[in-house]
Amino acid sequence: MSMESRYDKPGLLATYGRDGLMQIILIANTVLMLFPIAIMVMSGFKSNIEIFQDPFSIPDFTNVSNFVAMATETAFMRYLLNSVVVTGASIFLLLTLGLMAAYAIARYEFWGSSFLLLFFMAGLMVPLKLAIIPLFILFRDMGILNTHWALIAVYTAMGLPSTVFIMTGFIRTLPRELEDAARMDGASEFRIMVSVMIPLCRPAMVIAGIYNLVPIWNDFFFPLVFIQNDALKTLPQGMTSFIGEYATDWGVMFAGLTLAAAPITIIYIILSKQFINGMTAGAVK
Amino acid sequence: MPAPTLNGISRTPARTPRLRVSGRGLWITFLLVPPVVVMALFVIYPIFSALAYAFYDWQGLARGDFVGFANFEKVLFQQPFAATTWNAFKNNIFVFFALMIIQNGLGFILAYALWRDLPGARFHRIAVFLPVVLSTVIIGYVWKLFFHPIFGAVNQLLKAVGLGSLATPWLGDADTALNALIFVNAWAWVGFPTLVFLAGLQRIPSEILDAARMETDSELTLIRRVIWPLIAPSATVCFVLLFIGSFNWFELPYIMVGLDGSPYGNTDVLGLYFYRTAFGNQSAGIQDFGMGSALAVLMFLFIAVVATTWTIYLRKREIEV
Amino acid sequence: MKTFVKTLTLGLTAGAIAAPAMAQELSLWSWRQEDRAVYEELIAAFEAEHPEITVTFEAFEASSYATILSTALAGDSGPDLMMVRAYGAFEAVAGANYLMPLTEADVPGLADMTAPAIAAQTLRADGKVYGVPFASQTMLVIYNKGIYEQLGLSEPQTWDELMANAKAVKDAGMYAFANGTATAWQNETIVSALTSSVVGSEFFDEIVAGTTDFTDPRYVSGLQHLQDISAYFPDGFTGLDYASSQQLFASGMAAMFAGGSFEIANFRAQNPDLEIGVFAAPGEAAEDEKLVGVFFDGGYAGNATTEHPEAVKAFLAYTATPEFGQVFANKLRNITPIAGVTLEDGLLNEIAELNRAAVPYIMLTNFRYEEPSGSVLLQAEVQKMLAGESTPEEAAEAVTSGIATYYAPFQD
Repeated sequence: MSMESRYDKPGLLATYGRDGLMQIILIANTVLMLFPIAIMVMSGFKSNIEIFQDPFSIPDFTNVSNFVAMATETAFMRYLLNSVVVTGASIFLLLTLGLMAAYAIARYEFWGSSFLLLFFMAGLMVPLKLAIIPLFILFRDMGILNTHWALIAVYTAMGLPSTVFIMTGFIRTLPRELEDAARMDGASEFRIMVSVMIPLCRPAMVIAGIYNLVPIWNDFFFPLVFIQNDALKTLPQGMTSFIGEYATDWGVMFAGLTLAAAPITIIYIILSKQFINGMTAGAVK
Repeated sequence: MPAPTLNGISRTPARTPRLRVSGRGLWITFLLVPPVVVMALFVIYPIFSALAYAFYDWQGLARGDFVGFANFEKVLFQQPFAATTWNAFKNNIFVFFALMIIQNGLGFILAYALWRDLPGARFHRIAVFLPVVLSTVIIGYVWKLFFHPIFGAVNQLLKAVGLGSLATPWLGDADTALNALIFVNAWAWVGFPTLVFLAGLQRIPSEILDAARMETDSELTLIRRVIWPLIAPSATVCFVLLFIGSFNWFELPYIMVGLDGSPYGNTDVLGLYFYRTAFGNQSAGIQDFGMGSALAVLMFLFIAVVATTWTIYLRKREIEV
Repeated sequence: MKTFVKTLTLGLTAGAIAAPAMAQELSLWSWRQEDRAVYEELIAAFEAEHPEITVTFEAFEASSYATILSTALAGDSGPDLMMVRAYGAFEAVAGANYLMPLTEADVPGLADMTAPAIAAQTLRADGKVYGVPFASQTMLVIYNKGIYEQLGLSEPQTWDELMANAKAVKDAGMYAFANGTATAWQNETIVSALTSSVVGSEFFDEIVAGTTDFTDPRYVSGLQHLQDISAYFPDGFTGLDYASSQQLFASGMAAMFAGGSFEIANFRAQNPDLEIGVFAAPGEAAEDEKLVGVFFDGGYAGNATTEHPEAVKAFLAYTATPEFGQVFANKLRNITPIAGVTLEDGLLNEIAELNRAAVPYIMLTNFRYEEPSGSVLLQAEVQKMLAGESTPEEAAEAVTSGIATYYAPFQD
């Protein structure tokens, strides 16, 4: 991108003026984004009185009693672990199944393959929340209501369309030479897929994984209906329990919200590029 | 060793012996059956069941008699259910248009600003997207506490800067409750359209821009005539996803104002009404899967028809450019 | 040594054979997770008397209990014994033939319970009792004795005195009432807690009989009084949710909380130093009967398809005995409908005393059987009225016409 050609025509002053305005907008927006989060974190180090009388002061960051209370007196760690298990299992399953379907559709010619792609793509438009009643009855009949399997099943199904969509597009761009060479060496189709194609698919799997990770990790609706046993709750749903329990102690509530936000925030900051690419993946195609 | 055929279509079958063909068929079946079964069982079957359930009378979890369109008639035309349905629908529409302007509009402006690659752009980009990765439950609770009429940060801030007269019970006042929810939603989600638009902007070839700049001095004209049409695919995605999201709205109002759309229906949306009807309202209501399914089917049809038509229309616009 | 092993083996074998033949294992489901210890104590006492029966207590979260229970019952995997709610929510379970009908022969304690208690566990369709009612809750005014003493106030005898007390507290820079209306169901509790005496018991008799409706001037006047006194709710009370109201009272910042007797345990737990008193909100004149609103929480019921019907009946009979009631009332601090129980807690005794002059918590006891329930209607209409968006007359009219869509006595 050549800077000169972009800027010489309207004159430097106008450009600087406009960029100045843009910079102000960006700074104002960033303050608006981060200020509430900063207040949340700081309030986690305060007592009720401090929050009520001095909500914007800098707290004593060595006072971690609210965080200790949240981590030891509630089932926070339990919920966190449940979230990790459910999200991990769902992502593993939807990537595995999504890769299988995408691989078959993108790599082989067979009758009905374009219909199948359409079948999966239609799932992109379906708000599965609205099928909650039949899912509830189905899971009851399958005997997996009130277990993590109910969540894993619905998350896997929810994530499959986008995974198939992202992976099919990606696999189609891969050159066929490697695969053909392996085939000529007498490798089985299974071996070709596992040792030649899957390693090549890693970038698309990261994108599809992140695209689904955030909504699954944050989901509140399905556990609200499917999970009643407190020991099985995931973090977003578990939060309503400990918020209810500490409804009169704002410091502990803010500490809990901060702790709940921490895992995904830290991963996001470390992997922000992958997150942004992944979450906008379906859109940028 | 036979030379690779140039005809890509019949390449594989031509080279493989008969036995391998059926082996290949088995292999493809093995690859496809598990994902198709998962989709069929947990997406297709439930969607069609919801349709069927809406035609029955339900006693708790037990399916009763076939009642035809009675459930639909109830939620659409019979008072006082119909009044609740239409009120919720009206609120959904308001939410959608408000977010179209605030969330997508601001998203475009921010994307444009980020596109200029000013100092700190990377940091601003990370900041604007941060709330997007946070759970709605966290966002809802944090803002609910901020909006608290007595101790909330919003009213405290207003008092601190001398605007105490503007302090109000944000979530309890009929004039502000829904707007407060819309503000929080935009705060949480503005990063999404921002980065989708930004990705669109970054794909514009610089030659096109350079050529266009030779012809006009006005940046606004440039945006309207050149940039906006070129990022039409990004706009399609932002518009349609916002539409689906607005008519599925549930978590944020559930956390911030409760299942009843408090105050007195001013924040009631179809998602809340559906949940209340299907799973009961602990403090006051009765569970009705029939009416709930009817609502779900209507919402589903509405979302599917509008989203599909609109997508087709928007995609056509993209091609024409 | 050999003989010893032989005896031991024999003994063990005999025990092993005897136990399954005798043992009847029952499960008991509850939504009271916090009461587990007391229930286990109650169960231990029962098992001591019935060594052949063992009862396992299992508790679920209150907000999802109804869904869990009906799911299990519909799937034929329900418990032998269960806590069920009262009134409309009770009928949703009892009406589907999931519960065992109970007679006074099965559960002798039922004979000594009051009619409203029995009614809460009776299916209206067949008039049979399906549950042993376990606790009543009372809608009244809970107040902070410390603040009242500090300001030299006393329990009000007339409505004007109540208003004057509230004004005195507000003038002293404190919150008179802690109540807010942002949480819908709180609107129903404040109507009952504050206006029962103003409305008067004759109105409630007539509404139950179906000879009047909610547009009755007595009820409208009750709503008007509620609107008047809401001037002494905190600023911005329309945005104050349930938890915030509890917090204002428990922290000692507010003098009064209009609500249910079930709040007291929570207030005490939040702030053990709080000195709590209760009174029934008065009527216009000092001689007007001081009324509280009362409802029953729920009951213990048996599964109609249990494998051990006799054991289930034995346990249910036990839940209606004074021995059970004594522990239940004093350890869980609840008011039991079981006759002949003495309450150790002073405040509980006071509430039991107030219960002698009670009216039903009407929307729950009589209008939560069909949609739209009286509760849903009243909650939204009162919220609207207190926000200044409608008048008491309009609120009463909207509630009545909503119920009239399915309730014949309101239709003319």
